[in-house]
Amino acid sequence: MLRIEGLSAGYSAKPVLNDVSINVGAGQFVAIVGPNGAGKTTLFKTISGIVKPSGGAITFDGVDLLAVPPPQRAHLGIAHVPEGRQVFPSLTVMENLEMGAMTESGRRDWQANIERIFEWLPVLKERRDQFAGTMSGGQQQMLAIGRGLASSPKLLMLDEPSMGLAPSTADFIFERLIEIRRQSGLTMLLVEQRVAEALESADHGYVLEAGHVVLEGNNATLRADDRVRKAYLGM
Amino acid sequence: MEGFLQALAAGLLIGAVYGLMCVGLGLIFGVMRVINFAHGDFMMLGMYTAFYLFTAAGIQTLFGNAVGPFIAILLAGPVLAVFGYFVHLALISHVSGTRTASLEGEGHYAQLILTLGIALILQNGGLIVFGSVLASIRTPLSSSAWELGPFFDMSIFLNKARSIDMIVSLAIMILLSLLITRTRIGKSLRAAADNPTAATYMGIDVDRAHRTAFALGCGITAIAGGLLATNYPFHPFVGLEYVIVMYAGVVLGGMGSIIGAFWGGMTIGLVQQMSTLILPTQLQNAAIFAVFLLIIFFRPQGFFGRMVERT
Repeated sequence: MLRIEGLSAGYSAKPVLNDVSINVGAGQFVAIVGPNGAGKTTLFKTISGIVKPSGGAITFDGVDLLAVPPPQRAHLGIAHVPEGRQVFPSLTVMENLEMGAMTESGRRDWQANIERIFEWLPVLKERRDQFAGTMSGGQQQMLAIGRGLASSPKLLMLDEPSMGLAPSTADFIFERLIEIRRQSGLTMLLVEQRVAEALESADHGYVLEAGHVVLEGNNATLRADDRVRKAYLGM
Repeated sequence: MEGFLQALAAGLLIGAVYGLMCVGLGLIFGVMRVINFAHGDFMMLGMYTAFYLFTAAGIQTLFGNAVGPFIAILLAGPVLAVFGYFVHLALISHVSGTRTASLEGEGHYAQLILTLGIALILQNGGLIVFGSVLASIRTPLSSSAWELGPFFDMSIFLNKARSIDMIVSLAIMILLSLLITRTRIGKSLRAAADNPTAATYMGIDVDRAHRTAFALGCGITAIAGGLLATNYPFHPFVGLEYVIVMYAGVVLGGMGSIIGAFWGGMTIGLVQQMSTLILPTQLQNAAIFAVFLLIIFFRPQGFFGRMVERT
C-alpha cells in the first residue's frame, strides 16, 4: 500500500534520512523503532509533504505521492497522527473530530465513524464539548487518534503516541490501538521509541538509526535479534 | 446626566461600526498572523467603491437617497473581498503561509515591507485617481435623528444614519460569528489558525484558508468604511487615521481573537465619545490611547486573548 524507496531527506544541508526503503502492505501493522534523532518524525513529515525529499520515491496505492500537493494527501486516505498530538486547542473535541473528517470519505462515513470512535475512546464522548487545549496529555493523544480515524483513512500513521505520557496511560493507548486494529483491520504505521511495546503490537518492524534502516523483519525475528535485545529491550 | 447618556448612546453607535472595522483586521491577523499595514487603505478603497457605486453606477437613481447608500455600501463588501482575494494571490501569499513557515520570524519582515508598500501605492494611487477633494456618502438620514424618551424628562437623540450603521454592523457580526463557529469553512479557518501543520495533515489547504480570511477581512472592513462614510468625509489618505484605531482595537480584544476585536473596537468608540464630556474634541484620540495603555497595563493579553501559546 505504501512503498518508500531510497528516500533521502533533510533540513537545509543536514541530511536526516539516507536511502530509506520501507514497505507497508494492506492490512499490515508496521512499526518503525529507533532512538531519538534517528529520523522517524522526518520520515512521517516527508510522507505528509511538510518536508521535501532530496531523493527517492514514495508511492501510495499506486499513486506517486511526491507529485501530490501536501493538503491533498489526506484526501488519498493517509491520516497522520502527529508527534506531540497537535490537536487544535481552541476547537472543541467534536470540532477537532470534524476537522479529521474533512476528507470526502470522512464526510460520507461521519455517523458510523463517530459512533465507533466514541466506542473505542469513550473519554472523547464524555468531553465532546470541551476545548481540546484544556484536556490532559493522554486525552489529547486519544483525540489525535480519533481525529485521524474520523477521516476514514486507508493508512493510519502514528508518530510516538506514547510521548510524554505516564506508563499506564501509554499502555492503555497501545492496548486501544491493538483493539482498533483487531476490529477494523486498518493498516497502521507506527513510529515509536518504546521499542518493546511497539514490536509487541506490530507484526512487522524496521529499526532506524541515524537515518538508515539497519534492520528489518517480522516481530518475532526482531525481538529475537541480539542487537535489538541488547540496545532496546534491555536483555 | 443627559449629556452622559447622549455620549453613551453615540459611543455605542460608533463603537459597533469601529468593532466591525476591527473584526476585518482581526480576522486576517487571527488566521494568518500577518501584520497588514495596508488595511486602512483597503477600507479607503471600500469607501470610494461605495461612493462610486452610489453616485455613478445608478444606485442613487434606482433606490433613492435614503436606502441607496446602504445598498452601495453592502455591495462594496464583495467588491473589496474579490480585490483582497487577488492581492493575496498575487502578492501576500508569496511572503506568508506555507511558503514562509520554515523561515526565521515566519517571514514577518517581508510582510511588513510588502504591506507598507501596498499602503503607499493605494494612498498615492488614490490621490491620482480620486483627487484630493473630500468626498462623502450623503444621505438625508445623516442629518436627522430619532428621539428616544422622554425618560424622566430627558430625551436621547439617535442619529438615523448612525443607528442604521449600527444595525448593519451588528447583523454582519452575527452572520460572521455564525460562519466562524458553525460552518465547515469557519471551523477550518480556526483550525488553520490554531496549527497550520496539523491542518495540512487534515487535508485543509492552509494557503487557501488564508486567502479566504484575507478576502473576508477586506470585505468586512470595506463595509465598515462605507458605513463610516455616511457621517465622516473621507480622502485618499483616510486609511492612516483609521489603521491605528484598528490595531488598537485588535490588541485590546486580544491578538488572535476574532470576536474580541469587535469588543476592542466597541471600547474605542465608547471612549472616544465619552471623552468629549470632559476633554476638548482634539484630544479624542489622545484619550483613546490613554485608556488603551491603561487596559493593556492591567490586561496585557487583551479582553479575549489566550494566555496559552500556540503549539
